[in-house]
Amino acid sequence: MDHIERFYIDEKLADIKKDGFLNYRSKELPTWCPGCGYFGITQAIAKACNALSLPNENICVVSGIGCAGRYPIFMKAYGFHTLHGRSVPIASGIKLANEDLTVFAVGGDGDMLGIGGGHLPHIARKNIDITLFLFDNMIYGLTKGQSSATTPLGQKTNSHTKGNPDSPLKPISLALAYDASFVARGFAGDLDGMQDIFMKAIRHKGFSFVHLITPCVTFDKVNTWDVMRNGYHPIHESHDVTDRIAAMRLAEDQRFFLGVFYQDEKRPSYQEYLRQIHSA
Amino acid sequence: MADIDIVIEICGSAGEGTISAGEILSRHMSSLGFEIMSFDSYPSEIRGFGKCVAHSRISNQQILSPGKYTDILVVLNDSHSIPQLHAVRENGVVIYDSQPPAYHEEDKSIAGWMAPGMIAYGIPLHSLANKAAGSARGRNMVALGAMAALFGIDEEGFKTSIMKRYATKKQVVIDSNVNSFEEGYVWAKKNVQKLDHLTFSKVKLRKVTQNRIIINGNQAVAQAALDSGIKLFAGYPITPATKIMEIMGKELPKRGGIMLQTEDELSAIGNVIGAGFAGKRAMTATSGPGFTLMTEMTGLAVMAEVPAVVVNSQRGGPSTGLPTKTEQSDLSLVLAGGSGDSPRIVLAPSTVEECYESTCLAFYLAEKYQTLAVLLLDFFLSNSIRNIDEPSLPDKKMLSANISPSKTDLKDYRRFQLTESGISPRALPGTPLGMFVATGLEHNERGKPAYDSKTHLEMTEKRYRKLDGILKEVSPPTWDGPKANVDIGVISWGSTAASAHEAVLKARKVGVNAAFMSSMLLVPLNVDHFVKFSAACKTILVPELNYSGQFAAHLAQYLNRPIEKLNRITGLPMPSEDIFEKIMEIADTQKR
Repeated sequence: MDHIERFYIDEKLADIKKDGFLNYRSKELPTWCPGCGYFGITQAIAKACNALSLPNENICVVSGIGCAGRYPIFMKAYGFHTLHGRSVPIASGIKLANEDLTVFAVGGDGDMLGIGGGHLPHIARKNIDITLFLFDNMIYGLTKGQSSATTPLGQKTNSHTKGNPDSPLKPISLALAYDASFVARGFAGDLDGMQDIFMKAIRHKGFSFVHLITPCVTFDKVNTWDVMRNGYHPIHESHDVTDRIAAMRLAEDQRFFLGVFYQDEKRPSYQEYLRQIHSA
Repeated sequence: MADIDIVIEICGSAGEGTISAGEILSRHMSSLGFEIMSFDSYPSEIRGFGKCVAHSRISNQQILSPGKYTDILVVLNDSHSIPQLHAVRENGVVIYDSQPPAYHEEDKSIAGWMAPGMIAYGIPLHSLANKAAGSARGRNMVALGAMAALFGIDEEGFKTSIMKRYATKKQVVIDSNVNSFEEGYVWAKKNVQKLDHLTFSKVKLRKVTQNRIIINGNQAVAQAALDSGIKLFAGYPITPATKIMEIMGKELPKRGGIMLQTEDELSAIGNVIGAGFAGKRAMTATSGPGFTLMTEMTGLAVMAEVPAVVVNSQRGGPSTGLPTKTEQSDLSLVLAGGSGDSPRIVLAPSTVEECYESTCLAFYLAEKYQTLAVLLLDFFLSNSIRNIDEPSLPDKKMLSANISPSKTDLKDYRRFQLTESGISPRALPGTPLGMFVATGLEHNERGKPAYDSKTHLEMTEKRYRKLDGILKEVSPPTWDGPKANVDIGVISWGSTAASAHEAVLKARKVGVNAAFMSSMLLVPLNVDHFVKFSAACKTILVPELNYSGQFAAHLAQYLNRPIEKLNRITGLPMPSEDIFEKIMEIADTQKR
C-alpha cells in the first residue's frame, strides 16, 4: 500500500514538474469549493503561460468581485483584485500605461456580464490588447446561488425559487456582435483544449474574449459536470476562423461548441492604431 | 496718469460673434499690458437663439474677481441685453444698434429700458457692417471699432489683434472683419460726441517683464498635467470639464501619451487607476454628476494605495442641475464621497495661476503618497480667462515621486509595509521580485485579505498617517491682514476665495479691520492655522457658492464657534462687491 501511494505521488510530482505550471502558481491555496471548475481553468492558464515562457513579473492579472475575483491571489504575477464589474477598465488602463505587460481581466458571469457588462462592447471595439477570461458558472456563487445573466430561463435559483424569468445572455454572440477580434470558448473539464485556446488568445494582438464554461458544484444542481461533458462539441476543423458570419452561425447553433470561433489578425490593436494615425 | 478698472459686457445672440468679440478685446488689452479677467456665459443649447454674454474686467491693477457692475454694455441684441442693464452703473455707457434691421416692439428696445443717468451711444452697427463687408455678420467688429474710437484704444494695434484671431481663415474673412472694425472706428470718431470720461489712453501700465500667457482654468490644468508628465488621460465628455479632454486629445499623442475617451465615468477613473497601478501618471476630469459615478472607485484608489488624479469642475446641482452655471456645491461630495474611512487629497485652486500650481501638486502628491487627489474647480474658474505670467515648470523632485522598494525590501517584499510615514515602497509591474496583489479588500502588509480588527486598525491608521506628510509638503494657508485683534476674519475657498480676498483688501482700504484666510489644500486641512486665525478674529465670515454653507459646516467642527455665512446660488461667480457689502454690514453691527 505504502509502495503504491509513494509511486503515485512520485509520478504526479514528475508530471507537475514537467508541466511547469507551478511556476505560475502562488503559495496561496485556492478558497474555491472542492470540485469547482476554476481549479482546471487556473491550471490551464498557468500551463499556457509556461508554454509561452512569459516572465511572471510582466503578467498583470486583474479581477473584479465574485468567486473568480480571488483568482489573482493564486497566481504568481502582479495582481489587482478590484471592484465588482470593473476589472476591464482597470486592465485597460494598465495595458495603455505599459504595453510590455501581458494583461488578463478575469471575472465571472455576474462580474463581466451583469454589473460590468457595460464595459464589454467598448473594450472590444477599441481592441485594447488584453485577454478577458470569463469564468461562466451561470450562477452567483459567492453570494450563494442567485440567478445571473447566464442562468438558463426557468432554472430555479435562490433568488427565483419558481424559476428564473430572464433569458440568458449569449456571451459568444455578444462578443462577436461587439466586434471582438478574438472570440473563443473553453470548457473547464477540457484542460488541453483550454491551454490551446489560451495560448492563441494571449498571443493575439488585440482584445481576446475567452468564454469558459464551468459548473458551480455547490449551487447549481442542474448544469453539472456530467451534463456539461455531454453537452459540448469541439468546433469542426473546417471552420474558417476569419469568417465572422460563420462564427455567428456557430454561436447561435442549438449545440454548444468549444474552440476558437473567430480571429481577426489583420486589425491593429488600439495602441498600434494610435501609432499609425499619429505618425502619419 | 490715471488708474483704470472697468467692466465691459458684450451681449448678443449665440452665433452673432459675441464671444469672439470679447475674446479679441481681452487679448488685445492684455497685449497692451492691462490685467484682464474674462468670463463668458452662454446657454447650454448649441446654437439656437440663446443669449451670450462676454464679460471682461480690464484694469491696470491686480484683479481677483470678475466685477459685478458693468461700465460699458455693448448691445448686439436688444431683448437679450435688457436684463443685463440692471448691472450697468448709474452713469454707465450703453452702445447699441441705432439702425436695427427689424422693427423692435415697443418694450423690446434697449433704449426704452435705460436709466436716465446712463450714457447711450447709438451706432448703426448693422448698416455699417453691410457697408464694410456686404453682410451684417461684422456687427461685432463694428462695435469693437466704435469702442476703440470712444475709449482711446489704438486702432492699428487692434486691427493686428483681429488679424491674428482670424489668421487661419480665408483672406476674405480677415478683410471683412478688419474693414467692419475700421468702419465702426471712423464712424464713431466722426459722429459721436463723447459724454463719458472712460479712457484707456492715459493709463499708466506696469512694465511687462515676463512672457504673459492668456489661459483659462481648464487650459491651466491641462498644461500643468502635460508639464507633469501625464501619460494617460481618460474621460467622458461633461460640461464644464470637456475642454480638458479636448486639449489632451490634441497634445498628449505628440508626447507619446494617450487620450482615451471612455464609455462612462466608471471606466474613466478605472483606466486612471489601472495606469497608476502600472506606474504611469494619469488623470480624468469631470463634473459633479460624473464624480458621483466615480465615487465607486475613490475608495479603491485609497485602499489599494494607487495614485489617481481626478478633476471635478463643479456646476449647479443636484443631479444634472445647471450644466452651464457655476456653483461650489460638490464640496461635501468630494470631501467624503465613497464608502468607509477614505483619506484623500483635495485641492481647490482659487485662481487660474493656482489651477496650474495645484495640478502639479496633485500629480506629485498622488504619486508619492499613493492615493487619490481631487482637484476642485468650478464652471467659472474653468472658463475664466486670465493673462498670467508664464508659470514655472514643476521641478525634478515633483516629476518623479514614486518611492521604490530597495534591494533589501525586495528580499522579503511587503507591499503594504507599516511605516512611520504611512508610505510603503511601491514596486511597479515588471519588477522581478516585487510581485504582489493589490486589493480593495482590507489586507495585511503583504496584500493578503485580512479582516481581523488589529489589521484593520493598523492599516487605517497607516493610510491616515500619510495626511501628516502631505500637510508638510504644501505651503500653509494664506493669511492676509493683522495677526491679532481682527474685527472681521473672512475665510473662503476655491474661486470665491479670490473674490473674498479682493473684498477684504477693499475693506481695509476704507478702514475696516479685516483679515483674510484661504487654503488651496482642503484635505488635509491645516487646522492649526485656521484655529489661530479664528482666535484672532471677533467675527468669522465664510462666503461660498452653495445654499447650505458646506465649507462653513466643515470648518465649524474645528473652530467650535458661530460662523457668519454668505451664500449665493445665482449661477454666477461670487461678486467681491457682495462680500464687501457683507463685511461693511458686519462692521456696522459691531460698532453698535
